[in-house]
Amino acid sequence: MKKIHLFDVINYLVFILIALFILMPIWKVLCDSFNAVGVYQFQLFPNKPTLDGYRTIFETKALARPLLNSVITTICGTLLGLILCTLGGYVLAQTDMPGRGGIAFFLLFTMIFSGGMIPEYLVMKQLGLTDNMWILVLKHGINVYNIVLMKNFFEGIPESLYEAAKIDGCTPMGIFLKIVLPLSKAALASIGLMYAVSVWNDYSTVKIYIVNPDQINFQYKLRNLVMDGDTPTTSYKVATQTLQYAGIICAILPFMIAYPFLQQYFVKGVNIGAVKE
Amino acid sequence: MAKAPQMTSSGQPIRHTPLSTKIWNCRGYYLMFIPVFIFVLIMHYWPMLGIRYAFMNFRAFGKPTFIGLAHFQDMFHEKGFWTAFRNTLELSVIKLFLTTFTAVVASVFLNEMNTLWAKKSLQTVIYLPHFMSWAVVAGIFSMILSPNPANGMVNGMLLNAGIIKEPLGFLQDKHMWRAIFYTINVWKETGWGTIIFLATLSGINPELYEAADIDGATRMQKIWYVTVPALMNTIIVVLILNLAKVMNLFESVFVLYNSAVLDVSDVISTFLYGKAFAANPNYGYATAVGLFKSIVGGFLVLVCNQLSKKVRGRGIV
Repeated sequence: MKKIHLFDVINYLVFILIALFILMPIWKVLCDSFNAVGVYQFQLFPNKPTLDGYRTIFETKALARPLLNSVITTICGTLLGLILCTLGGYVLAQTDMPGRGGIAFFLLFTMIFSGGMIPEYLVMKQLGLTDNMWILVLKHGINVYNIVLMKNFFEGIPESLYEAAKIDGCTPMGIFLKIVLPLSKAALASIGLMYAVSVWNDYSTVKIYIVNPDQINFQYKLRNLVMDGDTPTTSYKVATQTLQYAGIICAILPFMIAYPFLQQYFVKGVNIGAVKE
Repeated sequence: MAKAPQMTSSGQPIRHTPLSTKIWNCRGYYLMFIPVFIFVLIMHYWPMLGIRYAFMNFRAFGKPTFIGLAHFQDMFHEKGFWTAFRNTLELSVIKLFLTTFTAVVASVFLNEMNTLWAKKSLQTVIYLPHFMSWAVVAGIFSMILSPNPANGMVNGMLLNAGIIKEPLGFLQDKHMWRAIFYTINVWKETGWGTIIFLATLSGINPELYEAADIDGATRMQKIWYVTVPALMNTIIVVLILNLAKVMNLFESVFVLYNSAVLDVSDVISTFLYGKAFAANPNYGYATAVGLFKSIVGGFLVLVCNQLSKKVRGRGIV
């Protein structure tokens, strides 16, 4: 029989309190998103359960369109991001390539200095990317920090694997596709998730670059719905708070569902970047 | 990967290949870099040309005219600019130290848990808020903290408990805004911050704890004399990596601030946003503010890069 220590009892109690502190706001939102009307105090279960909030989101074009835009931009942004960061990381990992120092400087300089909000805005305007949801894909697609992460990862792949392929006459692209990428599945999952989270959750890019309601993403629409007086009562047949809470749940649902299964990849993503000594 | 070998394994010197042959042999790599090159050029380098606007009078209509350093003079004389600069440093640095502190404490005590399933489920719970966007987090908290007791859960609870008589406008109050901002940051990022510390803790040599047991150390003494010192290096690295980013503070403030609390919450990026998207904005002035931010930010990255090289032998960039 193991002795129960006071230390452990207190430790578990404190962490249960912390878990409640974190879960309570989320639970309140989830619960009230199913609540037709009523008290908006904290309660454990909805007292008048309804799905009207969610139905409204999927049936109203002004809400469904931004949701669809978010899905499209997240998928495309993640794919573009993965393509560019693996290509860049692979090239940077070639230590004996002439000009590697110059390429590294070309990339790393952008982490030190940038043009700033206005010059970027004016360039995007010239490219026709203002009022255009593809700005989200392009802005997140090129991420120098992730190129460096990929490079660090590729450097961990034993060189003998490349050498054998080179002797067999494999081209750099062939080695990349047939050897490097298949060995990097875990890193691709981790970094892909980082891209997906950053595109899906982006609000400020849309706020800065997009006005056209057909091009906005769901985070932006949600913000308007919850904070900026986009009064839903007049146009939607559902209580304001029900719709707002249902919107919040839709905005967090994809990662809430995926994350318990993919937790190891998320965690690995943090550790690729920071712990590698 | 190792540097190109100067000698073969049998000890004979290798004949150097001419540079042109080396370049030709690497043509595949250069081709593969082209897409990255184009994207970085367009998204990062092209905007840098726009820095010239910082020295011009440039509005939506009319031709830009060169005015030298006038924008910088105006900027350094504007009270709101210095307030924003000071707020940026204060909010970022205090937030950084608070979330790092809570993450260290949480990981130290999580590390003391012997029940694996309890530890794992707690980790899952405390990581959750990290995946919510700032727009969502601001939405949730502004509803919960709303002064309207019909939907403000916190005001409702405090009123029912008789602690307050009038509902409080938490996010509209200058004296409470910062405390709430830090609390929300701690709520959102503490759990995620523990990942890196837990990884370090899993690497501590168990013999250290056994030696402490033999010396008759209590649980708290073991934490204080073994666990915490083992984390010191990681704590310093985390602080350095994040100090490089203090000027970037934007979205979290942008979604939580409002005109009533501008004095305590306006940061450089939100100040810049206000200048850039005002009615009839002066793009030149806003570019100058942005340039100031880039220069200070770049300077911080370089300083932290040097510190990082000293502490852990490799830089950030």
